[in-house]
Amino acid sequence: MKSIRFPRSPKVILGLCIVGFFVLLTIFGPYLAPYSPDNTSFAPNLTPSAHHWFGTTSLGQDIFSQTLVGARATIVVALIAGLVATLLSMVVGIAAGYVGGFTDDGLSMLSNVFLAIPGLPLLIVIDSYLPVNSRSNSLVIGLVISLTGWAWGARVIRAQTMSLRNRDFVEAARIIGEKRYRVMFFEVAPNLLPILASSLLFTVLYSIGAYVTLAYIGLTSTSVWNWGTMLFWAQGNNAPLSGEWYWFVPPGICIALVGTGLALLNFGIDEFINPRLRAAGLSAKQRRSLGLPRRQRLGLTPVVHSASQRPSTPAIASNTVST
Amino acid sequence: MDETRTKNRILDLRNFSVDYGWGDGAVRAVDNVTMHVDRSTVVGIAGESGSGKSTLIYGFTRLLRAPGVIAGGEALFNLSDASASEGNFINLVTATESEMRRVRWSNISIVLQSALSALNPVLRVRAQFDQVLKTHRPHMSKSQRRDRTIELLALVGLNEDRLRRYPHELSGGQRQRVMIALALTLNPSLVVMDEPTTALDVVTQREIIGKLAELRSQFGFAMIFITHDLSLLVELADEIVVMYAGTVVERAPAQTLYDSPRHPYTLGLLSSFPPMHGARTELTGIPGSPPDLSDMPGGCRFHPRCPYAMERCARETPPLAQVTNESRSVACWLHAGDEDAAVPVELRRVGVERHPPLGAENAEGET
Amino acid sequence: MRIIGRRLLLYVLTAWVAISVNFLLPHLMPGNPIQTLIGKLQGQVTPQEIEAIRLSFGGGIDKGLLSQYFTYIDQLFHGNLGVSITLSSPVSTILKASVPWTIGLIGVSTLLSFLIGTVSGALLGWTRGSRLDALIPTATFFQAIPYFFLATVMLLIFGSNLHWFPVLGAYSQNLHPGWTWPFVASAFRYAELPVVSIVLSSVAGWMLGMRNMMITVAAEDFVLMSVAMGLSKRKVIMTAARNAVLPSIANLSLAIGLVVSGALLVELVFNYPGVGDLLLNAVQNEDYPLIQGIFLVITLAVLAANLLADVVYLALDPRTRTETVA
Repeated sequence: MKSIRFPRSPKVILGLCIVGFFVLLTIFGPYLAPYSPDNTSFAPNLTPSAHHWFGTTSLGQDIFSQTLVGARATIVVALIAGLVATLLSMVVGIAAGYVGGFTDDGLSMLSNVFLAIPGLPLLIVIDSYLPVNSRSNSLVIGLVISLTGWAWGARVIRAQTMSLRNRDFVEAARIIGEKRYRVMFFEVAPNLLPILASSLLFTVLYSIGAYVTLAYIGLTSTSVWNWGTMLFWAQGNNAPLSGEWYWFVPPGICIALVGTGLALLNFGIDEFINPRLRAAGLSAKQRRSLGLPRRQRLGLTPVVHSASQRPSTPAIASNTVST
Repeated sequence: MDETRTKNRILDLRNFSVDYGWGDGAVRAVDNVTMHVDRSTVVGIAGESGSGKSTLIYGFTRLLRAPGVIAGGEALFNLSDASASEGNFINLVTATESEMRRVRWSNISIVLQSALSALNPVLRVRAQFDQVLKTHRPHMSKSQRRDRTIELLALVGLNEDRLRRYPHELSGGQRQRVMIALALTLNPSLVVMDEPTTALDVVTQREIIGKLAELRSQFGFAMIFITHDLSLLVELADEIVVMYAGTVVERAPAQTLYDSPRHPYTLGLLSSFPPMHGARTELTGIPGSPPDLSDMPGGCRFHPRCPYAMERCARETPPLAQVTNESRSVACWLHAGDEDAAVPVELRRVGVERHPPLGAENAEGET
Repeated sequence: MRIIGRRLLLYVLTAWVAISVNFLLPHLMPGNPIQTLIGKLQGQVTPQEIEAIRLSFGGGIDKGLLSQYFTYIDQLFHGNLGVSITLSSPVSTILKASVPWTIGLIGVSTLLSFLIGTVSGALLGWTRGSRLDALIPTATFFQAIPYFFLATVMLLIFGSNLHWFPVLGAYSQNLHPGWTWPFVASAFRYAELPVVSIVLSSVAGWMLGMRNMMITVAAEDFVLMSVAMGLSKRKVIMTAARNAVLPSIANLSLAIGLVVSGALLVELVFNYPGVGDLLLNAVQNEDYPLIQGIFLVITLAVLAANLLADVVYLALDPRTRTETVA
């Protein structure tokens, strides 16, 4: 009796809501923005008001519009980087784990090298040599970020592939003579789905951080609006020290919220992969009403005295009892 | 004074039940089990996986993890030693955490199936003993602890050079010996063994069983020995309790149970394993699989798999009843009333060679 | 020891890759950045300095790429990392002044955040289901905030509004750097807010990781056995925590890179005179020799930290030490 339900904990639902909200913002943000983010025709340094929900910059741009428009570039680049990095880590991880031998040694060494090199400094060096017109290209930036973000996923996927390699269904596919790449990508890969999903969430999370950071230190084109460039202009105009919190807080909070949403979703995947993390049994409220301790202490199995509660029909089908 | 609370009783389980989950979601894993263990005796609990045998022992030792809960009954444990004139019982079900801590290891110790997972992987063998002794014998000096550890290792046949080893540096048999020595550290009156030999090869298995029998006669501790291998149990146990789907279906002295099982399930279990001694018999096993705890069949829980099932078995649950004039009980409608008439010939195991008592290998063949 | 040897080999290889990437990037990037740079410098700096820069990139472009590569490596081993364009002094001299600040700041914050995160994560994992679980979403949120953003907010609230901490710089400008008591005290005082920022940003990662491991380890048999042995609650928790911390340390290599990356930007926010601040100024001025020098130093420092983490891991997990089984 294996329960293959995705855990529907409040954490996961909250994560889905947050991520869903920002996906909508990515799609519709630019159309919803009341003004052009470049429009400098407003009075500078306005505090938030009904006309300018997040106030204006010292150049007289509407910060609310910038935040809405900036969502798209930020999330699209992160998504490109996340997808490419996950694809890379999948190919490297599965190949290393499945083929083994020298292939494994070489690929493992490669991913370990990329793990050991600190990602951001490498990114900065590469990016600082990029021609200026490439820096405004989301695809180029996304690819460069993915180059520094694939190694961790590859390591995890490799480990999981190795444990799958000797399972019956893989063995069977090999025996009936399926081609190696078919076994790897049609037999092994589907079973890595939870890990791939988790790896995608992580790399997207990493990519948002990396992209925003690059933009913040002025290494992406300042003509592309994203949350990082907003912070770049805010910092450049000394907004933090002159008390213009409304300039840098909105993009910062957006970044943190997207990240939180992704991390919360990942909790769900974690609980799916590692059943020990799943909360056992009832909510705190239900436990209280049954007179059980709020949490169970190891080594003091609780006693319920309503022995007559024995159910006539099963309510939980997913309950696996091991003895 | 309750008459069963005699000074020689170590453990008394009464109507003991364990659930997994609470309220509407609860499934019963151990249902109204009543059994007892006397001083210096070995009680074997046999059954397939899922029969509730492990749940039972983790239940009364209060070690069962969530979502397991004790759903009723008592677990009375005798704290007094053999020389005391009367028993001093504590109900483990209602004991507080600090009371439990005092009972644990000093009175009840446990050996698990896999010693590799039961021993702390980052501690040397010596440190594993040290932490027990430091907790329960705080007055002991460092050298006294070391001497005691060496003594215990010698008891299970291990050299003192194992002291500085880590668990992963020992073989499976050595690890299990360390675990057994650890269980005897504080001279407990009850040692619970949860399939301690299942993970070992047959030769090591025999060595360990032999060692356990020897240690038991030397120190006089009582033992609960859990296994699904009935033939192994016959070698070691005084009494055998057979569990099926959370209930006790048969209880009898070991040899009696082996020679003349009364419950069809016991017979099935006996035919699933080759006997360690005696004639080779065909292994038949039991058709089907144990029932889903959340979907228990009505009447006798074994009836869907039972070759002797009668119409009555699906309707009424047979009680665990004492067999007339014998010190054994069975929960089966075949044995209701005039029992000899109802027992099918196969259940009598006519012609099964009696095996010699342990340690009497030389006298093999003698009946 | 064999394991340490293998790790050392990996780090040497990594260092070589980093050095080679450093060499190849300016040579392979479109637009010939080296020529552009040297052309821009004509007349601004002395011919000797131009020569040093040229050498640090591997010498003249008339020679083959391989020969340039060897020149570059040779220069590197002689400590010639080139000359900073904006600061007009050798990169190695500049680095000598700023590296100690960074190592101090990041070292202290990483250690603190690892300790705080591991201890609180262990407790959080052990008391799963208690009210403390409410900390998890908060911790997740903090984990998702970019380091530099949190640092900016901290600077704004506690530095420039509440004036609880001195801001900007690493010590009071009235003091002369040196091993004097007032200077050291001032350095500590100025490091407080940056350290708090870095710890706040990074602690959640350690905490959540440790919590998950603690929950996983608490389900192991040996933890149950330590309860069955009647050990005190403190000892039982220690048994679980001692084993749960091992993967945390094993993962240190990934984490150090991330923490260092984040912490470098915190220096920028606080104008802290470490390599982070230096790097970002170099980036804005396209000071390539300085950028490359800093990248190498950071990489080597991170590799050294990784090696240290490996040694600690080896010391804590006996299973990795065994080579012969009895």
